[in-house]
Amino acid sequence: MLIKNILAKSTTTAGVVVTISIMVALYSAYDKGLYLAVNTVVMGGMLALMALGLALVFGVMNVAMFAHGEFFMIGSLSAFYIFPPIHEYLVENPNAFLSMIAPLIAILGALLIGMVVGVIVEKLVFSPLRKRSTDNWVMNSFLLTVGLSVILINGHQLVFGTESKTIVRYWSGRPLNIYDVYIARDRIITLFLSGIAVLLFWLFIKYSRTGRSIRAVSQDEKGALIVGINLTGIQMLTMSLSCGLAAYAGACLLFLYPSYPTVGIEPLYLAWFVVILAGLGNIMGAVVCAFIVSLLKVVTEAYVGSGWEYIVPSALIMLMLVFKPSGIFGSAVRGVHEQ
Amino acid sequence: MNNKINAIENDTSKTNGVFLGFLKNGLHITPAGLLGLVILLLLPNIAPFNQEYMIRWLVMGTFIAAGAIAFDFTGGYIGIVNFGFHAFVGLGGYTSGILAHRIGLSPWLGLFAGGIFAGALGFVLGVLTLRLRGIYAAVVAWFVGLALMGLATKLVWLTRGPLGLRVDRLFDSPSNKPYYYLIFIIMMIVYLITRKVVNSKIGLAFKAIGQNMEAAKTSGINPFFYRVSNFTISCTIAGFLGGFYAHYYGILTPELLHTTKTVEVLAVAYLAGRASLWGGIAVGIPFVFFTELMRSSLTELPGLNLVFYGLMLVWVMIYYPGGFAMFYDSITRKIKNTSLKRFFRG
Repeated sequence: MLIKNILAKSTTTAGVVVTISIMVALYSAYDKGLYLAVNTVVMGGMLALMALGLALVFGVMNVAMFAHGEFFMIGSLSAFYIFPPIHEYLVENPNAFLSMIAPLIAILGALLIGMVVGVIVEKLVFSPLRKRSTDNWVMNSFLLTVGLSVILINGHQLVFGTESKTIVRYWSGRPLNIYDVYIARDRIITLFLSGIAVLLFWLFIKYSRTGRSIRAVSQDEKGALIVGINLTGIQMLTMSLSCGLAAYAGACLLFLYPSYPTVGIEPLYLAWFVVILAGLGNIMGAVVCAFIVSLLKVVTEAYVGSGWEYIVPSALIMLMLVFKPSGIFGSAVRGVHEQ
Repeated sequence: MNNKINAIENDTSKTNGVFLGFLKNGLHITPAGLLGLVILLLLPNIAPFNQEYMIRWLVMGTFIAAGAIAFDFTGGYIGIVNFGFHAFVGLGGYTSGILAHRIGLSPWLGLFAGGIFAGALGFVLGVLTLRLRGIYAAVVAWFVGLALMGLATKLVWLTRGPLGLRVDRLFDSPSNKPYYYLIFIIMMIVYLITRKVVNSKIGLAFKAIGQNMEAAKTSGINPFFYRVSNFTISCTIAGFLGGFYAHYYGILTPELLHTTKTVEVLAVAYLAGRASLWGGIAVGIPFVFFTELMRSSLTELPGLNLVFYGLMLVWVMIYYPGGFAMFYDSITRKIKNTSLKRFFRG
């Protein structure tokens, strides 16, 4: 029964793509070493958080977010300003427990700041537009996010300067040794953190009452309003959650992506790629696709050379649009966006 | 119905005199617009503006104005945001530049070659994405822009990558003036072509699709055909403009294809007012002039001009979606004096 089920699933497009990806991952890890697999998974976990936020905002609010990379940037910037002071304090007063949780304080602080920024953005930008008119909403809100992105990028440049703001590492200590492959602690813990975030998010959306309301709004806004769901509150929560997730990802990856004005462009591009690949608005499909895209990027860099990671995925997405425009998982909530 | 409108227009042209009639129905310019264009033509000869760097800004502003017209032709009429606009500009520029550099093709022919290449890519992209929702076209055009920028950086044997491809300039003189007049003529031709298309039966179909796709479909309009043709025209213009860019600056770097360049054109097009076309000229040149002035006078605050760009865009999108064209329209509509009204509104 189980085998039959797996066979039936693996003949769909999603199944074929996932199977091929797993095989590519295994081969490349065997060929070029385990680093590749580790990089894929670390990158993929963070990309999943970015893409989740993007898909959530598109599903619930119909906003094609272009400023998502800037929330990533805000997260890494916040972590950069929270972590070093604690670190300096620790150098003077060593404390084993505090040095364990100091990075967590920075990351959670970034998450909080991201969520606050989300509320501000919703209050200042989307809510006024929604009050005024919802004609041609998808394009108008998209343009608003473009303006927002320009403001945030250049605001960062204006206030904090263009230089890279980075830290050496979050967790000190020797790298872990797994089958003669040394992996920095940061990567392992980051992977763990992103896994926890995705899991918590999934539980929240699936089982909590608020999560059910969010799903209801994404399926049918008017219907949700009729059954007494607080639409304004849900929209604000969605925006806040989505920004928070991006900021969390940015803070976790601070050791890999130093904070500078345009740091968000690459995560944004990859996250959009994930969302198109999974099907617009498909929230959980985005998690699987995040790992596929991350694999694609890492493999392209390893075999074709760096700089090509913009070219190969774009070519692939054109191919996919020819054969399967609704994405490999298909978007279940497609009808809503046609409105 | 259409004949009737034409008849009425012909009628008014008779009462307005031959010149005004030609201005209105042949060139689609109001007398006030004509005055503005004459001022623009004289500007590089008047005292503070006749310095070379000022003329350079004027060329840049006119270039962006022409781009904004082409952008508005797609964005304002069929509601597709071409988020890879400068990818097409860059493709046109590189096509023209490489043909001139490797084969020795005349830059003047190169402009057209660039337009054809960009138009062909626009056609392919349109066929792939325009049967889907508008956001797909926007996002995929953006992806294509990033991919082309990657190619321009990586194919060093062809494009010399970030070092920059040196290209012959169109004129021998080091002065910017001939370039200004050339781009001015190009801008006017772009305006006339797009205006003619928009006022024709095809333009009516564009507007119908932009306003209500379902209703347009029901009336027997094939949205796919019209969207693709609109997108192709806009991309062809972008490629042509790219050719001008290449042979004006004389050097091409992958930066030309960057998204921020598209955002500049997009901001001007939407500040000018969607579906206005002329707004691009009225807003683009002063706006670029102003932001360049801001950038060069406040060098210790880099990025301030772009923050201003973004704030303007957000503010206008929320509170004044009609942009400058709507503002102008609502002001001049209130004028009581008939001849003054005719001067401003044609």
